[in-house]
Amino acid sequence: MQEPVKKKKIKVTRAVNGVEQEVEIEVDDVAGPEWGPNDKHAILNKHITRVDAPLKACGIAEYSYDKRLPGMLYGRILRSPHAHARVTRLDISAAEKIPGVRAIVIVPGEKVVEGAKKASEEADKKNPTEVGGKDIKPEREPGKVVRFEGEPVAAVAATTPEIAKDAIRAIRVEYEKLPHVVKAEEAVKPDAPKVLAEGNIEPRSKRGDQAKTTAAFAECDAVVEADYRTPIIHHSSLETHGIVVDYRGGDSATIYASTQGTFTIPDESAKELGLAQSKVTAIVEHMGGGFGSKFGIGVEGKLACMLAKQVKAPVKMMLTREDEFLMAGNRSGSWQTLKIGAKKDGTIIAFHAAQRALGGLGRGSQAGQPYSPYAGKIANAYNEIVAVKTNEDASRAMRAPGHPQASFAIESIIDELAYKIGMDPLEFRIKNLKDEVYHRQLNRAAKEIGWERRNRTPGAGSGPRKRGMGCAVGTWGGGGNKECVVDVTIARDGAVTVAVGSQDLGTGTRTYTRAIVAEEFGLQVKDIVERIGDSRLGKANASGGSTTAASLAPSVKDAAYNARNMMAERVAPLLGVKAADVTFANGKVAGGGKSLTWKQACVALPSAGLAARGQWRPNLQATGVHGACFAEVEVDVETGFVQPIKMVQVQDVGLPLNRLALESQINGGMIQSLGMALWEGRVTDNQLGVMLNPGFGDYKMPGTLEMPEMIALIDDGDTRPAVIGVGESAIIPSLGAVVNAVHNACGVRVRELPITPDKILMGLYTEARTA
Amino acid sequence: MADEHDDKVARDIAPPSPGRRQFLKGVGIAGAGAAVADQLLLRPHEQAVAAEPPQTLSAATTEVTLQINNQKRKAMVEPRTTLLNAMRNHVEPPVTGPKLVCDQGTCGACTVLLDGKPVYSCLVLAVDAMNKPVTTVEGLGTPDKMNAVQAAFVEKDALMCGFCTPGFVTTISAYLKKNPNPSLDEVREACKGNFCRCGTYPKVFEAALAAAKGTGRNGARAELMNHREAAESEA
Repeated sequence: MQEPVKKKKIKVTRAVNGVEQEVEIEVDDVAGPEWGPNDKHAILNKHITRVDAPLKACGIAEYSYDKRLPGMLYGRILRSPHAHARVTRLDISAAEKIPGVRAIVIVPGEKVVEGAKKASEEADKKNPTEVGGKDIKPEREPGKVVRFEGEPVAAVAATTPEIAKDAIRAIRVEYEKLPHVVKAEEAVKPDAPKVLAEGNIEPRSKRGDQAKTTAAFAECDAVVEADYRTPIIHHSSLETHGIVVDYRGGDSATIYASTQGTFTIPDESAKELGLAQSKVTAIVEHMGGGFGSKFGIGVEGKLACMLAKQVKAPVKMMLTREDEFLMAGNRSGSWQTLKIGAKKDGTIIAFHAAQRALGGLGRGSQAGQPYSPYAGKIANAYNEIVAVKTNEDASRAMRAPGHPQASFAIESIIDELAYKIGMDPLEFRIKNLKDEVYHRQLNRAAKEIGWERRNRTPGAGSGPRKRGMGCAVGTWGGGGNKECVVDVTIARDGAVTVAVGSQDLGTGTRTYTRAIVAEEFGLQVKDIVERIGDSRLGKANASGGSTTAASLAPSVKDAAYNARNMMAERVAPLLGVKAADVTFANGKVAGGGKSLTWKQACVALPSAGLAARGQWRPNLQATGVHGACFAEVEVDVETGFVQPIKMVQVQDVGLPLNRLALESQINGGMIQSLGMALWEGRVTDNQLGVMLNPGFGDYKMPGTLEMPEMIALIDDGDTRPAVIGVGESAIIPSLGAVVNAVHNACGVRVRELPITPDKILMGLYTEARTA
Repeated sequence: MADEHDDKVARDIAPPSPGRRQFLKGVGIAGAGAAVADQLLLRPHEQAVAAEPPQTLSAATTEVTLQINNQKRKAMVEPRTTLLNAMRNHVEPPVTGPKLVCDQGTCGACTVLLDGKPVYSCLVLAVDAMNKPVTTVEGLGTPDKMNAVQAAFVEKDALMCGFCTPGFVTTISAYLKKNPNPSLDEVREACKGNFCRCGTYPKVFEAALAAAKGTGRNGARAELMNHREAAESEA
């Protein structure tokens, strides 16, 4: 009789949008893989160069955008130029006649309006639909209401991108303009044009006791109340959204997608193509950035499938840069009205927040205030969150959705309160942060940047160029889920392959996948081959919420561990020892004083080699990280120009799989955050309802000249032998640190991002007038 | 005739004029912007017309011979086709190291060397690149034989998603020929026309300085923001 497997209870933390909860789960109490101490690895937790770096540095890594298939057509999308309008007439006759145009599809609309329908039917009669000898009958959907500038109206497929562009220009669309609103301040007014029938304000959540909080402000010695605003930010992935649909009729298709989720592609594409899901393969060999915006095939993918289905030929549909700005999502803006009060000794006792997430047609993302690092210690807190709708493209997740916005606002008001009370901003934070990990990280970063050099009085110092420092903290979950199935195979010739369908966004997935297997077998990274980015391989989760590493790495480890045990069983008789006594290190398989090279040992394998599968192991991952950032900036008070001088960020991560890639990821977080603080933001014109800066020439991103000295520090004080994702954690605190540094430098508190020179100059002017 | 319509448009817009294509071939339309080129329509290319039904607007394509990475590559392009699009979409097999990212000469991902000088290939017309050597990132080295800049990018982790990398590698490779021992500020200045979104700049600088002649031990190296060493000394 088989004994029932013993169970044990373990605690794991689960995070939803960065808010963690600790839950107890039951797992089999059997011996399984463990990482061992973080400082005892041969390969992991070291600087590992990326395995795909040579391909990328030589320009031969093939991205979806680089795919070119025989007979492939190029797709292009016609977008609405209006923020809110009804399509009254859509005439594709001229476009159809252009040689090289193979297919045109009209984006299905929401409503059919009588007059528009008639106009379109007449247009139908007039327009021949025959192109190039093929009978193409585009569906017509007149009366479609477009609700934002950039909403797709039609799409074409043509033999060259140049012809596709001509075809888009040749489609004639007449619109009946409808009232629009693209500024939140206008949208909340009672007489504002309605973005959606339900109205422009969507209540989302309320937390805390408002009456008690309001009363608590009477007990405070110092109170600060202010509005903080952040604009809509664009992901600006260098590879735009898009897919290449390889469908030539028949019952199967292959989709090359620029996506964060290999497995988010086949189902949706199959639906559009009318195929069985199992007959559609998704390939994501390399991808050029996503930052939260690339899940599923999107409207562009749907249109590409419709076009491919129509002509039974491969279609490549990569968005143009302008498409990307106008219809591929964005990070929601925010407008937060905060009030905070503290005792003279620096204890915060009251906090009131009214937060508005500005996600265009979407609900937006907004972490609740007081932002989690500060949440535990404030006795009386209340917040309410609403979404304010505007006629703009719906927001999507973007690296730590809602967190940088929340961090910026609370770190600003806490700074203001600290100065009002007359406490050092660092000391004030330490007093009000419950978790001691923050104390450790703040003190370390303070030492690194030289906090003692800071301006004691904001704006002090002579001369036009003034320096200042600021700091802030962040948090994230980063745990994993049971979603990855990994296969490790060892061939008799010694070749080792690790395979899983997951994707590498530039985060280093390929590299650590190999490294974990190499570590387990005592081999080197170059001895392993990884296969990823293919939906025919083992299932894996989409890369969102910093969950990839914590979901994938434990599964890889488990697969390697199982393969190693199987290998040990095979090799043990050769060495004359028990399987448990076989060791794997330095390219050798050894035991009982004997030693075999890896290749020699593999001869013991059956001719088919061996294959092992791995599943997620909750004990190999954890969740919940901190992070602290300090910034030093120089403000020119004559021009209002801000030059970042130095940034330091400390990040805990449990077991750092690859220190080199981790440093890069922390740098990347700091840089994107710096961009939000000083330069980036969607600029709209409320009268026209359009975006004024939809291109890299006008949407200002951080460049080489703006870069400060950057110090990315891994907090090895965190000794948890568990993998945690920190891609998102890394982007959160820098924003607050930079904003506070600007204030410390010149005395101007800018509460609306980005901190452009005009805001500094206006602040100095106002200060001079009121002084 | 394969397509009457096509022929008619070609006649209407660009009356047969044997000298036209010759003119473009000989003189080129150097200096003419893409907008001007859009208006120029060429006569159908004889061979293309004979071989297959014309697929393009008025069959206004012309054959160009490009010298990409020391190889002669022919392509049928329109006068408005950029060098970047010619390489990516028209030559066979495609040359896709240079990336199409901003399409307006701001991000540098499409940087190639034209006559040895770095240019944004999204701003160069294919017809203007005829008879001039074009070097792309693929021409600078291969994974087995990387040039110093490529090797340094790998070593210093100067890339993440890698989409900007071909542009940076090309820009820096050209710059180091001009200035083999640059300072950090000179490196920043040299690649200010290249964008990275993942945030690799500090390591790009590190890689450029490491690849530069004579550095790695002195001079510019000391100026370098070396977080790894800082991190280790702190730890």
